[in-house]
Amino acid sequence: MIDTSTIEGIIRILFVGIIITAAYIISTRNLLSVVSVYAVQSLTLVFIALALYSLEGSLVLLAIAIITFFSKVLIIPYFITTIQERIRIKRDIEFHFLNPTTSLLISMVLMLVIYMVLSRIMQGTPARESLFFFGAVLGISLMLMGMMVTFSRKRVITKALGFLSMENGVLLFGLFVTELPFIIEFLIIIDLIILVLLTTILSVGIDSTLEDYHQRLHRFHLWEEPGEDS
Amino acid sequence: MILLAFIAVTLLALVIIILSHNHLRMNTACILQALIFVILTAYIVMFRQIPVESFFIGSEYFFIDHLGIFEVGIATIIFTCAALYARGYIEGLVESGELEKGSLKLFYVAWTLLLLVIVLAFFSDNLALFWIFAELTTIISAMLIAILSARENIDAAIKYIFIASVSMLFTFVGFIFLFEISRTSPDAGSLNWTDLIQHASVFPPGMMLAAFALIFIGLAAKSGIFPFHTWLPAAHAKAPSAVSAILSGVLLNVGIYGIIRVYAIVHQTPAAGIVAPMLMLFGILTVGIAAFSMLPQKNLKKLVAFSSVENMGILLIGLAISTPIALFWMLFQIMAHSLTKASLFFSSGILHRQYAGQFSSDTVDDIRDVFRLQPLAAWGIILGGLAIIALPPFPIFFSEFFIMLQLGAVSLWVLVITLFLLFIAAGALGYFVITNFTKVSGPGADDDIKHYHTPVSMKIPIIFLLALLLIIGILLPHPGMEFISQIVTELKF
Repeated sequence: MIDTSTIEGIIRILFVGIIITAAYIISTRNLLSVVSVYAVQSLTLVFIALALYSLEGSLVLLAIAIITFFSKVLIIPYFITTIQERIRIKRDIEFHFLNPTTSLLISMVLMLVIYMVLSRIMQGTPARESLFFFGAVLGISLMLMGMMVTFSRKRVITKALGFLSMENGVLLFGLFVTELPFIIEFLIIIDLIILVLLTTILSVGIDSTLEDYHQRLHRFHLWEEPGEDS
Repeated sequence: MILLAFIAVTLLALVIIILSHNHLRMNTACILQALIFVILTAYIVMFRQIPVESFFIGSEYFFIDHLGIFEVGIATIIFTCAALYARGYIEGLVESGELEKGSLKLFYVAWTLLLLVIVLAFFSDNLALFWIFAELTTIISAMLIAILSARENIDAAIKYIFIASVSMLFTFVGFIFLFEISRTSPDAGSLNWTDLIQHASVFPPGMMLAAFALIFIGLAAKSGIFPFHTWLPAAHAKAPSAVSAILSGVLLNVGIYGIIRVYAIVHQTPAAGIVAPMLMLFGILTVGIAAFSMLPQKNLKKLVAFSSVENMGILLIGLAISTPIALFWMLFQIMAHSLTKASLFFSSGILHRQYAGQFSSDTVDDIRDVFRLQPLAAWGIILGGLAIIALPPFPIFFSEFFIMLQLGAVSLWVLVITLFLLFIAAGALGYFVITNFTKVSGPGADDDIKHYHTPVSMKIPIIFLLALLLIIGILLPHPGMEFISQIVTELKF
């Protein structure tokens, strides 16, 4: 067994990795790389879960690591990439209110504010001293950064990626509350998959013309018409 | 075991819908599902000891208490009416080509699942489980909005999904906080509401405040409370009217229900001293924004949708007063608002079919000769409108009257402001009805309006709901009142 302080060190390094990926998702215009960065971010989460597992030995963490790996590192990025290829969007250069530089600056300020607020709230509780605190600060920051992406981009696919990165934030936060009932983690991911499915169906519709929309749905075999032309 | 019955009925309905090829059979399955749900609910109320304890999964995840069964009762009644209404309404959409025949199956599958998910949400003891079901309601109902696949519908659905889901993530973080808080209590951590309410008095107020603030964001978005209400008017106005009734009458309640549950926990701690004024502020802002948005409104469905926002604000004010009497009438208002609003959406659906045939719902409704063409819908709007602006003997009068009385005891100024806003909202509704319903086209111009023949199935729900409201308002039945008092006791107010 590696000793505790080394693992905590590793977790802190992984935290830095998460911040870098979040910053990249906020600032980049290239859609394809957003998806891969999202996958990397999820992979970092998997490593954090594994590190925590070796620290605490709770099987739930191992299960979360496995589920996250399959759903968030493999399936969802693959799914989104396929959609992107079909609707042929490579770059997302439409921003609503914020351009990338401003968003980066804002997110730095946000992290600082969250750090200060949370350390005040948790003052004196046992939670303040543990990794739970850092998990909370980083998780909520990641959520807010994802939220900025969701509300500052116009393309539905980028919005969805922002949302997914928010959910990574929640998961990161949840990892540090080890006794959380397992059902929660499990269902987050089910929920996530349904959401991706739906938003991508809708995004296909909105990123193309309406005439194409139904044809595309049929091409995806999302539903068949009973007793008609099929 | 009773929960299994709910699930089994839904599965059966799903099988029928998937196997059948015509619209009427799918619709019948939905009506029957909702009707059996009403019977099951009535059975629980009359023959079972509430809170019901024994379950197939133990009592760890699900429970049935008075508040849960109350909400389920409202939901099932509205679903039954809406399913009946959809029989004629959806048929009309298919005939006019606005809804593709191939989408029918998807529509009814989503419809049946939505009812089940809502019932399960109200019966969840575990707050995380409640969160999951609440999330599912968002996704499924967004599908029902997008089903018309007009560009505006897809836009509205996407806006709804993103605002609601993004905010609900904050709620989830709030629940994690709550779990962390509950670990300080003698019993180890739990997210079960029944455990939380028992140990609430020892929870640290600072953390509790943070948890509530986070939880409030998502549930406020679900129930259309300012500043998260922006998705609501678009979604409610663009959805097929049968769906709008459900969105307004049932889905908004899911958010408010969550807020009530969590506030009941906060109410046991000193944090309530900060949370209650916060709720009050959001409530008044919500009423204000809704009232001023109603004034210039030219579209009937949007007007009715904003009126829902206004009523959510009133509910929040009622909750913020946090006296047992205010809570009692706030619960009463939930029921009264749901029934009234559903009937209003049913009536405006008929007018919408009559006057906005091309389904360009952003345009001004060109309502003319309404009493000659659609007398029932016109009277439905007038009576429903009178009910929603709290005229006696409709039930909303009683709830708003007593909530305002209680509010006056808190602060006279707040009462004056709120009353002023309520008058504006009522005025906006009245102005719309007076200006639009009195328009009569001159002689000779009769031919250009094609009369929309309203099917009987669309008329029955309106008559039924209005009659039900009148009965409740005039009789104020004692067992019902007793039932609501028990909810207040269970919430430890």
